[in-house]
Amino acid sequence: MRTTRRQFLQLTAGATAAAAVGLDIAPAFAQSTPVKLGVLAAKAGVLAPVGESGLRGVQWAAERINAAGGILGRKIELVVEEESSPKDTVERFRKLALQDKVDAVTGAISTGVGLALGPVAEEMKTIWLAWDATTQKGVEETIPKPKYSFRSTDNECEAVMASLLTARHWKGKFKTVAGINPDYSYGRDNWAAFLAIMKKYGIELQVVSELWPKLGATDFTAHVAALAQAKPDLIFSCHWAGDTPIFMKQAHGAGLTKSTKFVLTTGGGVHESLKKEFTPEGAILGYNTFYFEYAKASALGKEFVRWHQEKFKEWPNYESDHGYFTLVAYKAAVERAAKAAGGKWPTQDAVIQALEGVEAESLSGARRYREDHIMEATFFQGTTTHKNKHDFVTLDPVETMTTKQIQKPSGVGLYDWINGWKV
Amino acid sequence: MLFLVAAGLQLVFGVQKILNLACGSFYALGAYAGVSAVTWALGHGLPAPLFVLPLLAGGLALAALGPPLERLLSRIYDRDESFQLLLTFALVLMLEDVIRFVWGSAPVQLRGAYLAYGQVTLAGSTIPVYNLVVMAAGALIALGMGLLLTRTRFGRIVRATAENREMAAALGVDMRRVYRRVFTLGVVLGTVGGALVIPATAAVNEMAIEVIVEAFAVVVIGGLGSMRGAAVGALIVGVLKAGAIATWPEVEMLAIYVVVIGVLVLRPAGLFAGATT
Repeated sequence: MRTTRRQFLQLTAGATAAAAVGLDIAPAFAQSTPVKLGVLAAKAGVLAPVGESGLRGVQWAAERINAAGGILGRKIELVVEEESSPKDTVERFRKLALQDKVDAVTGAISTGVGLALGPVAEEMKTIWLAWDATTQKGVEETIPKPKYSFRSTDNECEAVMASLLTARHWKGKFKTVAGINPDYSYGRDNWAAFLAIMKKYGIELQVVSELWPKLGATDFTAHVAALAQAKPDLIFSCHWAGDTPIFMKQAHGAGLTKSTKFVLTTGGGVHESLKKEFTPEGAILGYNTFYFEYAKASALGKEFVRWHQEKFKEWPNYESDHGYFTLVAYKAAVERAAKAAGGKWPTQDAVIQALEGVEAESLSGARRYREDHIMEATFFQGTTTHKNKHDFVTLDPVETMTTKQIQKPSGVGLYDWINGWKV
Repeated sequence: MLFLVAAGLQLVFGVQKILNLACGSFYALGAYAGVSAVTWALGHGLPAPLFVLPLLAGGLALAALGPPLERLLSRIYDRDESFQLLLTFALVLMLEDVIRFVWGSAPVQLRGAYLAYGQVTLAGSTIPVYNLVVMAAGALIALGMGLLLTRTRFGRIVRATAENREMAAALGVDMRRVYRRVFTLGVVLGTVGGALVIPATAAVNEMAIEVIVEAFAVVVIGGLGSMRGAAVGALIVGVLKAGAIATWPEVEMLAIYVVVIGVLVLRPAGLFAGATT
């Protein structure tokens, strides 16, 4: 059908009238439109299990917030995109900002992706709440004073805590050490932090082997043979992905777990795969910022663990908590800013300002964003035990440290900070 | 195990002139199927030491994938190599998604099998007996492949086809059948390799890509299309890796590719170029 001029005029008149009415009802309308939040979750490769875990935390948070009426009466709508290579993820971030017009983006785990996203968040003027993905060294260079990026805890926190526990439990009980760490900034930084702290504590040690397998390697037989030959008293490893159980299994096969002390700073990220049959008791194991079986956990934390176990038949790991926190922190910041603005939905700048220093109850207890946009949380590590109802190792005792103890303060270099400790 | 994957690649290339990237996916599928088969069998009361039976059965069962995939690939036999690479790479990505759909993205491992045969101490180092079993299995399969290709009628037909496919067809060899069988054999070499290696490691989604890269290094060193080349190439890559890690871990990957470059410069066709056996 061809549109006649008359019909066209009628149409435009109608549209103009609708637009005029629309202007009138705009504020009320805005209150009921959903808050759109973009999510970048890895779904393939080494990062997939961790990405899924973060997404679950975000989804659970969104469900709960929506069930309780949303943020200032607006429901949360998640727009989930995939985190993959830095280039593609940047494109998806742009798409979320430009096409979906999201209010903020949460997600990203890989350091490489994080380095690429930082400047883009500034450019697009879109709030980005990272789950991980923020190695401080690189981020300091690419986004020195970010306005829109809110980062996770420092990468080296788990190495710092594990090193402090090593000094506390094993000082004087080992001499030779070996490091086997994934070959990228995370592995390199953690190993360097460990050595620096050992030196600070006056622990004289001899490094007998330094191995750097690729992240996500599936065969460690040659590495394990080299370790067996070097006969270290202690092996330090910050593996965190599917390569962790493979390494432990092959190390156990070669008899390394009999007498060697193990420090696994981040293995708790894949805790269910650390089966008792090849993971020894008495090793130091880090669960990062969330431990699923923490006796003193809050009702909220316990409820999440129950829900996660029932729904996925898995015990959750720390990334869920990172994801959960980014949402409740955003909600808390919006509400805080709205209060200051007399109950109106706040501007983005006001939300950013409110996010600085915002505190919210996360699954592992209280967390906050520092004024310099870095997360503060509690870390959980401890000694592995086989005495539990699972087929994998858990912790007994569980020890906790806060980022006040194990994260370098704002504006100080990591090694300057460590060297300044009084021990 | 690298040998088995490389051997599958070689066989298919030698006969069908198809560079099959999906050989890595067969390896990954074999690993996942092995875990499922053994877990199921142990759950139904199979004594632990017999776990290799369901393990191999899991790998062999995947032979069923051979004929339909070969049918799919048969559309591009006469096309440019880049089409073959694209199609087989598409298969890699699709099979990775199939794996994620069926088994999930978390690493999957086989419980209680690795040390079922105990450990032995050889020259001061402790080795799980299973590692020796795998080595023996690899050697046996290599020997079996050698015999199959040189001593049987099927082997003679396969070699004749690899040598000159028009001539073989003219002499009455049913090309489609040979292709189907050879391709399936290539699939099985990969899946059995994946199944055999799984008790010592864990199955992860990205293992296909990882093994393809190494298999290509093996193939370049050994020479495309040569079985003996696959065996020697796998041995060279394995020994180089272990040696590099024991002495100077930083050069682990470098060492392999230095040899690859050396072979490409001095003997561009590979150490055992031209021979199908």
